Amino acid sequence: MTVLETRPAPETPETPATPSAPAAIEVRDLTMSYGDRSVLTGVTFEVRRGEVFCLLGPNGAGKTTTVEILEGFRRRSGGTVRVLGMDPGAQPAVLRERLGIVLQECGFPRQAKVAELIGMWRDYYPSPRPVDELLSVVELHSHRDVQVRKLSGGQRRRLDLALALAGDPDLVFLDEPTTGFDPESRRRCWAAIENLRALGKTIVLTTHYLDEAERLADRLALLRDGEIRVCGPVREVARQAGVPTTITFTYPQRIIPALPAPGCLSLRVEDGVATCRVKNAATALRELFTWASACRLGDLEDLSVTHPTLEDAYLQLVSGGAGQ
Amino acid sequence: MTAVLPGATAPRRRPVTRVARLAVRQGLAEQRTFWRSAEYALFTFALPVALLLLIGSTTAGGFLPHTHVKAQMIFVPSMMAFGVVVAAYVNLGTKLATLRHDGVLKRIRTTPIPAGAYLSGVLGSTAATTAAITAATGALGWLAFGAVPRVAGIGELAGGLALGAACFGSLGLVLSTLARSAESASPIANASYLPLAIMSGIFDPAFSVPHWLSVIVGLFPVRPLAQILQQGYTPVQHVPLEDPVVLAAWTVAGVFLAVWRFRWT
Repeated sequence: MTVLETRPAPETPETPATPSAPAAIEVRDLTMSYGDRSVLTGVTFEVRRGEVFCLLGPNGAGKTTTVEILEGFRRRSGGTVRVLGMDPGAQPAVLRERLGIVLQECGFPRQAKVAELIGMWRDYYPSPRPVDELLSVVELHSHRDVQVRKLSGGQRRRLDLALALAGDPDLVFLDEPTTGFDPESRRRCWAAIENLRALGKTIVLTTHYLDEAERLADRLALLRDGEIRVCGPVREVARQAGVPTTITFTYPQRIIPALPAPGCLSLRVEDGVATCRVKNAATALRELFTWASACRLGDLEDLSVTHPTLEDAYLQLVSGGAGQ
Repeated sequence: MTAVLPGATAPRRRPVTRVARLAVRQGLAEQRTFWRSAEYALFTFALPVALLLLIGSTTAGGFLPHTHVKAQMIFVPSMMAFGVVVAAYVNLGTKLATLRHDGVLKRIRTTPIPAGAYLSGVLGSTAATTAAITAATGALGWLAFGAVPRVAGIGELAGGLALGAACFGSLGLVLSTLARSAESASPIANASYLPLAIMSGIFDPAFSVPHWLSVIVGLFPVRPLAQILQQGYTPVQHVPLEDPVVLAAWTVAGVFLAVWRFRWT
């Protein structure tokens, strides 16, 4: 995987990220409705400069609507939106010069050749990246003279990315960039995205793949039914969602009936394995060890502490635990 | 919420030269891809050329009823008008409907290219194709049937082609907005121009229709264009003033409808 080279700053030197540096994207109380149907009901989040921000959610949650409002393709019904300090609703051309957009499903002029198309796209922007560099990033060098209609699905998706990067954007939107990819293509695409992050680009990614979000995102927001259920760094999202930590160990053979496990642990025993699900793992472990030593149970065998994963949080918020 | 990133406030100049340069490059790119898709280019040319040769071989050499006008002097310019309709109206309309359906127009919209530059490039490319088709039709009409434009009629011929390309190009833009999908663009195109072309006598120099129908057909742009181009070959039929007026009126209506209805997605 070729790495894009960092370039010297353009004529307006970017100020280094300071605490007061404005966010790349600010969204406040964003609402969107089509007629009577409300699609977004008060969405608020912020994307910091230089981070990979992931909008996660099931189909129909409002991910693409949100992103299309940020890209300037849809007019919002209400709320405030600032993208790189500008209102995308006004469709300023200066904003489009600084955005790279990979749309969800988007065709190409079929007879155009790969390098030719990238060349055309470079013409549209004031300070484009070199063609060879773009071809390398998406690994399409050997296909530069192939007509677009002859490319495979994965190759087209990578060409999508190359076109989005042609103008050397500050902010890149990727709407489900790896849907329909084979594992190898996904890994290549992920590497390209990580490569972009290393360059300091801000990336907004929508996906319904949890592993993709877990691997790439610095922070994420989980959308469901047009509102944000939880938003924050990937590691914290599960805790925010209120998903318990799971502690398991092999239930000792000899338990003195007079000394049952503390009730606050709500221990459940199944097939000789004791499981408790707790909010605060540290407190629970302390209780557990105090009880174990009081009962002279020795070390609890096969003790394991499993933190909630993004998947747990997702399933809790999306499938079951509405209204948590 | 008034915070603005560095460099974002400086108003960029968008000089006319940049738009013109982008339009020219877009037009050249469109032409390159048009000629690369051999079957598309071939059949765009084949329709007017094949009809010219097929129908011409049965009617050329004769005279129009009750006149001394050779049939090919009417028939060849009529086929040139037909070429304008096919290239500017049918091709442009179906092409844009396909580009919209495939999401290519939406993708273009993600870039900072000014809408005017992109559409000028596409329209310029259409104009070039139209010119090539009418030139091929005219050349073949001369080689096969000896139909040569008269020197005094060059003005009518050039003016008619320019006005016709503008008129049917703007209607092609409207056609692309009427078609809900790429598949429906072609049937809509054929259903709209083919009956009109037949009623306008494009395929038969001796074709005549009842007076009331003739009045109606005269209000649509196909026959006026054919009559102006015929004037470039033979002066026998006078060009009523209403022919260019009808074309101009349709052009204005087409431009208004296209501006009002055009969508990128």
